[in-house]
Amino acid sequence: MAQEFRLLLVTPETTLLDQSIESLRCTLFDGQIGILPGRMPMVGRLGYGELVFYSADDGTESRYYVDGGFLQVQGSVISVLTEHAIPVSKLNAVEAEKLLEEALARPAVGDEQCDARERDQRRARAMLALSSHK
Amino acid sequence: MAKARAIVKRLKAVKNIRKITRTMELIATARFKKAMDRASEAAAYTKKISELVADLSQANLEFHHPLLEKHETEKNSVLLVLTSNRGLCGGYNSGVLKAALKRYKELTASGQNVRLEVSGKRGISFLKFQGIAASQTYTHFEDRPTFEEVDELASRYILEYVEGKIDRLDVAYTEFVSASRQQAAVHSLLPIGVLAESVKETETAQKYDYEFLPSAQEILEEIVPTAFKARLFKCFLDAAVSEQIARMVAMKGATENANEMVGTLSAQYNRARQSQITSEILEIIGGAAALE
Repeated sequence: MAQEFRLLLVTPETTLLDQSIESLRCTLFDGQIGILPGRMPMVGRLGYGELVFYSADDGTESRYYVDGGFLQVQGSVISVLTEHAIPVSKLNAVEAEKLLEEALARPAVGDEQCDARERDQRRARAMLALSSHK
Repeated sequence: MAKARAIVKRLKAVKNIRKITRTMELIATARFKKAMDRASEAAAYTKKISELVADLSQANLEFHHPLLEKHETEKNSVLLVLTSNRGLCGGYNSGVLKAALKRYKELTASGQNVRLEVSGKRGISFLKFQGIAASQTYTHFEDRPTFEEVDELASRYILEYVEGKIDRLDVAYTEFVSASRQQAAVHSLLPIGVLAESVKETETAQKYDYEFLPSAQEILEEIVPTAFKARLFKCFLDAAVSEQIARMVAMKGATENANEMVGTLSAQYNRARQSQITSEILEIIGGAAALE
């Protein structure tokens, strides 16, 4: 059954992707979710992690690192809103490591700063994990 | 001969300037197109965010977010002024600075500590001249502000607002209304008044019964800072586009003026040359008559 299934990957600067896909897998705030055509409408919060989709034309796999944001499934259109999306092949392990070290070493006072630090650590860890599994 | 020479010299100078202004106009046009493309691409994100907010608000939720709430006392405020790094763009900078100065005086008159942050060399030197100290200055926002650069500022403002270090954020910039209309404006970005203001009646859109992960409320709370960042980013993009338009218009006017001047100067030169020739002929005739 060939069903039209489209992925829109939108960042604040531009619409990064707009293409037909077969299926999509991405990281929500609490774990991974897989989406196939015909999924019930949903809105979800993304976590830091991987976004994988298979192109409808030839089934090739594309992998992106996604920096939080939102996922919206609306009929046959999936919209992914995120502040940054980087192809996994372009991730830099050394830089990610640096980010993590910086986040680990940063002193934090008060709840907000602690939260921010933890967030940065999670982010750097996700980047690091992905960049080492290119 | 002396007068005609002087006119030729001026004519050359005007022609040279016309060449420069014409080039600047063309460059501004090209930059404007690029900036405009960026702005319209970025609009997709803002649109999606407001769409999400609209979808979520159907659920009629009670939700709170520190960025939405007004602080009880407004003591410390931040005024961010977006101007350009370069001049020769007509009234672009003066318009923004006038609006900013007015708001600055209003805020200080109501007894607030106003922290001024200025982007753009023009604004920085103007305020220095006025004797108003800016606490932060930026000159790295050119005609292509990136989200990353803006995000840095936005995150700092969010943190400071949540921690209670600032109670209000105003942005003075040139709002892009349409390609033929831009106006200097001061907008309050924090506290965020109404989240769904940009949601016009999109009732024609199909309604979906969404499943929310984790919950509609939590997603809304997460969207608030994102919406703020998108708004701040839009201010920067608007300012960049408006700057190029202002420069384009200013340089167009300058080129037209130069054209006009070239016209009058060449007429003047021709007249001077003519009268010179006439007087020379008269001299010769006079000389010849004297010899007879």
